[in-house]
Amino acid sequence: MQDDRRPIANDTRLAPVRHVLTVNGRSAAVEAAPSTRLLYVLRNDLGLNGPKYGCGLGQCGSCTVLVDGRALRSCAIPLRAAVGRRIVTLEGLAEGGRLHPVQEAFVAENAAQCGYCLNGMIMTTVALLAANPDPSEAEIRSGLQANLCRCGTHIEILRAVRAAAARMRARGDGGDEA
Amino acid sequence: MTAHRADPAAQGRHWQEAGDLLLVYRETMGRPPRLGDTPGAAAAAGPQRALYLAVGGDGRVTAFNGHVDLGTGIRTALAQIVAEELDVPLERVAMELGSTATAPDQGGTIASETIQIAAVPLRQAAATARRHLVEAASRRLNRGTDELTVAAGAVRVAAEPDLAVAYGDLVRGARTELTLDPAAALKAVEDYTIVGRPVPRVDIPAKATGAWTYVHDVRVPGMVHGRVVRPPYPGVDTALGGALLAVDEASVAHIPGLVAVVVEGDFVGVVAEREENAAEAARCLGLTWRPWQGLPDLNRPEAALRDNPATPRRLLDRGDVDRALAHAEPRLDRTYVWPYQMHGSIGPSCAVAEFRDGGLVVWSGTQNPHVLQSDLALLLDMPEERIAIERHEAAGCYGRNCADDVAADAALLARAVGRPVRVQLTREQEHAWEPKGAAQVMDVRGGLDAEGGPAAYDFETRYPSNGAPTLALILTGKVAGQPAVYPMGDRTAVPPYAFGHARVTVHDMPPIARASWLRGVSALPNTFAHESYIDELATAAGVDPIEYRLRYLPDPRAADLVRAVAERAAWVPHTRPGTHGGSGDLLYGRGFAYAVYVHGPFPGKAAAWAAWVADVAVNRITGEVAVTRVVVGQDSGLMINPDGVRHQIHGNVIQSTSRVLKESVGFDATGVTSREWGSYPILAFPQVPEIDVLMVPRPQEPPLGAGESASVPSAAAITNALFDATGIRFRELPLTAEAVRAALNPPRIAGPEAPRRRGFLAGLFGAGAGALALVTTLLPWRPAYPSIERPDPAAYSAATIAQGRLVAAAGACLVCHVGPDGASFAGGRGLETPFGTVYASNITPDAQAGIGAWSYPAFARAMREGISRDGHHLYPAHPYTSFVNVAERDLQALYAYLMAQAPLAGAVPETRLRFPFSLRPLMANWNALFHRPAAIGDPDRGPDWNRGAYLVEGLGHCGACHSPRNALGAERRGAARLAGGFADGWEAPALTGPSRAPLPWSEDDFYAYLRTGRSHRHGSAAGPMADVVASLGPLPDSDIRAMAVYLASLAGDATAPRPAAAAAAAPPPGAATLFQGACASCHEGGAGGELVPLGLVTAVHSAHPDNLIQAVLNGIPAAAERFPAPYPSAPPAAMPAFRDSLTDRQVADIVAYTRARYAPDAPAWPGLEAAVARVRGLKPHAGW
Repeated sequence: MQDDRRPIANDTRLAPVRHVLTVNGRSAAVEAAPSTRLLYVLRNDLGLNGPKYGCGLGQCGSCTVLVDGRALRSCAIPLRAAVGRRIVTLEGLAEGGRLHPVQEAFVAENAAQCGYCLNGMIMTTVALLAANPDPSEAEIRSGLQANLCRCGTHIEILRAVRAAAARMRARGDGGDEA
Repeated sequence: MTAHRADPAAQGRHWQEAGDLLLVYRETMGRPPRLGDTPGAAAAAGPQRALYLAVGGDGRVTAFNGHVDLGTGIRTALAQIVAEELDVPLERVAMELGSTATAPDQGGTIASETIQIAAVPLRQAAATARRHLVEAASRRLNRGTDELTVAAGAVRVAAEPDLAVAYGDLVRGARTELTLDPAAALKAVEDYTIVGRPVPRVDIPAKATGAWTYVHDVRVPGMVHGRVVRPPYPGVDTALGGALLAVDEASVAHIPGLVAVVVEGDFVGVVAEREENAAEAARCLGLTWRPWQGLPDLNRPEAALRDNPATPRRLLDRGDVDRALAHAEPRLDRTYVWPYQMHGSIGPSCAVAEFRDGGLVVWSGTQNPHVLQSDLALLLDMPEERIAIERHEAAGCYGRNCADDVAADAALLARAVGRPVRVQLTREQEHAWEPKGAAQVMDVRGGLDAEGGPAAYDFETRYPSNGAPTLALILTGKVAGQPAVYPMGDRTAVPPYAFGHARVTVHDMPPIARASWLRGVSALPNTFAHESYIDELATAAGVDPIEYRLRYLPDPRAADLVRAVAERAAWVPHTRPGTHGGSGDLLYGRGFAYAVYVHGPFPGKAAAWAAWVADVAVNRITGEVAVTRVVVGQDSGLMINPDGVRHQIHGNVIQSTSRVLKESVGFDATGVTSREWGSYPILAFPQVPEIDVLMVPRPQEPPLGAGESASVPSAAAITNALFDATGIRFRELPLTAEAVRAALNPPRIAGPEAPRRRGFLAGLFGAGAGALALVTTLLPWRPAYPSIERPDPAAYSAATIAQGRLVAAAGACLVCHVGPDGASFAGGRGLETPFGTVYASNITPDAQAGIGAWSYPAFARAMREGISRDGHHLYPAHPYTSFVNVAERDLQALYAYLMAQAPLAGAVPETRLRFPFSLRPLMANWNALFHRPAAIGDPDRGPDWNRGAYLVEGLGHCGACHSPRNALGAERRGAARLAGGFADGWEAPALTGPSRAPLPWSEDDFYAYLRTGRSHRHGSAAGPMADVVASLGPLPDSDIRAMAVYLASLAGDATAPRPAAAAAAAPPPGAATLFQGACASCHEGGAGGELVPLGLVTAVHSAHPDNLIQAVLNGIPAAAERFPAPYPSAPPAAMPAFRDSLTDRQVADIVAYTRARYAPDAPAWPGLEAAVARVRGLKPHAGW
């Protein structure tokens, strides 16, 4: 950085560059172009299949991950922008072999048909309940509004979110996101 | 967990050869018939022997089924059937579904027939195995079989419970092959302990933890990534054949790790080592296609379907329809229209293919593994037995989506590159090319007889669809584009009512757009007509609609269901609409419909019965319709997993409500325009109705398919409810707010269109050419400076070079002079100007290509006077008019810095401007007119201000973009200086005078914007300005602060007066929906991080829409990608580019909506669609 003879900026857009990420509490080094979408890196370089490619446009929510505790679309996040942030995927929710209460609730309520959107539903719910441990029905529905499900599992998902909120309040761990 | 199986053939051999197994095979003659089969093709396949069940020495059971789980939970239900019949715990049963190496060919997973049909032999296989095991136990325990009981996978002596033998013990030590005995005794339903009980789905725990292996998650060693590029006739396969005219492989030469560009006929694919590079190659690949615009209007499909060549097929002719019609009074002739719709699988299709040892393995999400196997054999000229399809679950599909297409794509690419290839379709490709659920037109002629009964029922239906041949077969020319006709419009075409005079005709016809089966295949539209029409008859007869139906419904099981649902919903009989009243602008209504879904080739088989009572609320001003509650009843016979059935009913209700209220594929003359979720909205959580499910318990009746039935009554129940609410019959779907509003409030005659404003570029820059002729010629050429040896960088001190680096930063040299591959100062970047494209030169110290042969005086002349070393004039895209003010020491340092760079030999394209601007000598005239040093600096102001003025007006050459240019391309001065201009297709807003943004630009705002690329009160730097901010990175904070001080003094601290809120511009119809689906997740839902609210963003309030259009079309990189010191809370997400997803019209609608919603007191931007087309035509700004 301090070499003044170095050109100011000469990233060739597609050239691989070493990036160090923090994913699921661990540090991971990745060689890829800075603009590579985080989704590709998580899946192809780190073998994390929880986040799914759905639209690449931030519309459907299948690729949702937690970035510093917020549920964001990994299909729209360039690798370089993920550096220095705390990234948690579906695989990183469980602690000590025990599922996150949101995962437990989704399993208990059979809240999936094909399950392709499930990652986004769970990750969005984790962030939602961390911010609002006792959401109203309207708050749950609007919180999940931009997560698309095509199979029509909404009824079971809503039930799972309510159950998860109740579980977490009962355990007193509502405010701790992953 | 379901890891993928790397070697299916080995797995197949395992079952064929291993010991310690009890196996049940089924012997049949011929394979199952397939849609589109030639007569006799199925039987010609000869005798077949297929494995259905295996019990291992460990007591675990593996069962095989040719059908696959499309997300409906049949994996669980089939396992329940096997566990029940064999008396083993459910967790000991594993299902293998749809892998050609192991599972039987049972035809495609269609028509909800897995449980109803495909499970029957599985159950018999389990019974055959159980009988064998009990007999083996009888011998082992030396007791009669009547003394034995079976539980939990062990056979016991009933009277001596300690005397038992487990299945595994009976199996071990031998390999036993049984043939399925259809006569093997089945368990009595009363004895069921697993079937008929709610059971948790076996797959969900793995899916909820990321451990499930969808086809998207299959990775094999050595795998590379492929993308395909489809022809530009989205979703129209009849336009193919010789469509590809040229391929420019050089257009992807820069892609790292590119493995191959593969072209076969109209099939085009790219393969790269990394997925993102394959995606980039697909985006960049230059292809020339034959133009085609042959699609009729499919947005209102009635005319196109009536014009489509068809063959009528009479399904029913009862009584004397013509005579009855002649006497009908009143006569009711009605037409119902169903739109094109799509599966909309949430995950676009994906497949992996690998050639190995002369064979092919394809990991696929196909619905029809054995049909795909045949397709691939045809495509690749390989025998079927060398092709193994490993079926993995994919995102839910509800019929035929692109799963088979992508499998064939992967096979072609894998063959071409000799490595395993994974192909992932894009969202746009899946939306565009998935075989659609076809539009359908239903005509009913009828009326009332003298007693108010149905006089006659003359029904015709048109369904333009077939099996949608796998795309690669058409693209490569293996099969003709001439579409086949499938007789599939007949599902539930015969109404369930006992009409005395009835005629039913199906017009079999080929597809227009690519179409195939989608949930409720033709039955859903046909029932829309049947159940709407009987409601109309009831109203005309003055009879309650349910009572009227029951009069003519001969099927007692159906009548039971109808009564049960009416009772559950507390249906109040009524004979006219409006019984539910309203409040405020809302009207309420309730409607009923019933259907039994009849599927399969005519006359077909009945699946489950279903009936709906739908409650709706309608806003009579806006036309918005909400389905608030659905009471839905279903009679599915024996329910294997009642939870699964309930789940399917919920799914059907929600998905079909979505289809009825919202869904219609958009088209233009080239094909599908709905290529992302904004233009094909589906029901989201806030709109999901309350659902009350009534499941009729009939455990003694055979199980019936439940995967589609509950969808079928949806459309008529909802439109009947809408009639109850409004008194208006809706016979065309979907029930969008626009359609309902138009029906409720017939539109006034539209006024004349507002006059189109002249394109603002023309306004800003004028036509120009005429003015030039007036200029007299003077000194057209200037002398050349002699070339020199490249100066030795060692001659300059490190301090000087360091200073030069800062000058280069402040001057943002790289913004223009970056090389196409990102190489610093290599030049070649094209700058779009109204006069043509100006290419930035190579300014590395290469003697030939760059400026290595330039002496300092030559360099200084070029910088200050715009004259090249050889004497030719530079175009004022090079901002020498600003650099004239640059201090001598800074220019020398810049020269030193450039000479210290690595020389790069790349030549840049020659600038070719439109005449007369192409005449470089004319620039001399230009310079005489416009190029003169301006005095900058004001001794009365402080040092910050003066430093800022120097940076802004001189080195920073802000005016090059932010000043308007006159007809000759010169920056205007005086009052117009920095008053706003354009650069590279982006607006550079005025820096003088009050901003149009709602908040003024303060010194701190400028500082944050220039330092971090973002002002949280105004938005982010994008386009060329982002490059400028990035370039300013090395400058000390004090210089940025100085620029902010100076700029704030120019801007003042006020905002522009808002025009009196004139007529607030109404956004275009449908634009709100488009915005909601395409943009709201991030811009309203926070899914991209903390974005600057659109209401504050300066570009939304500008006089020009260009920057907003640029952002939508080309996206905006994330702050961390562009800026050395991003704003602390800048979101990590980039704005995606929608160029490939949205049409000009759709972008214009989104921009108009954004303007109307977020800058409500600003006038609407005129001519938006043309503006979008113009911006799309510009080369996207490529930042470094």
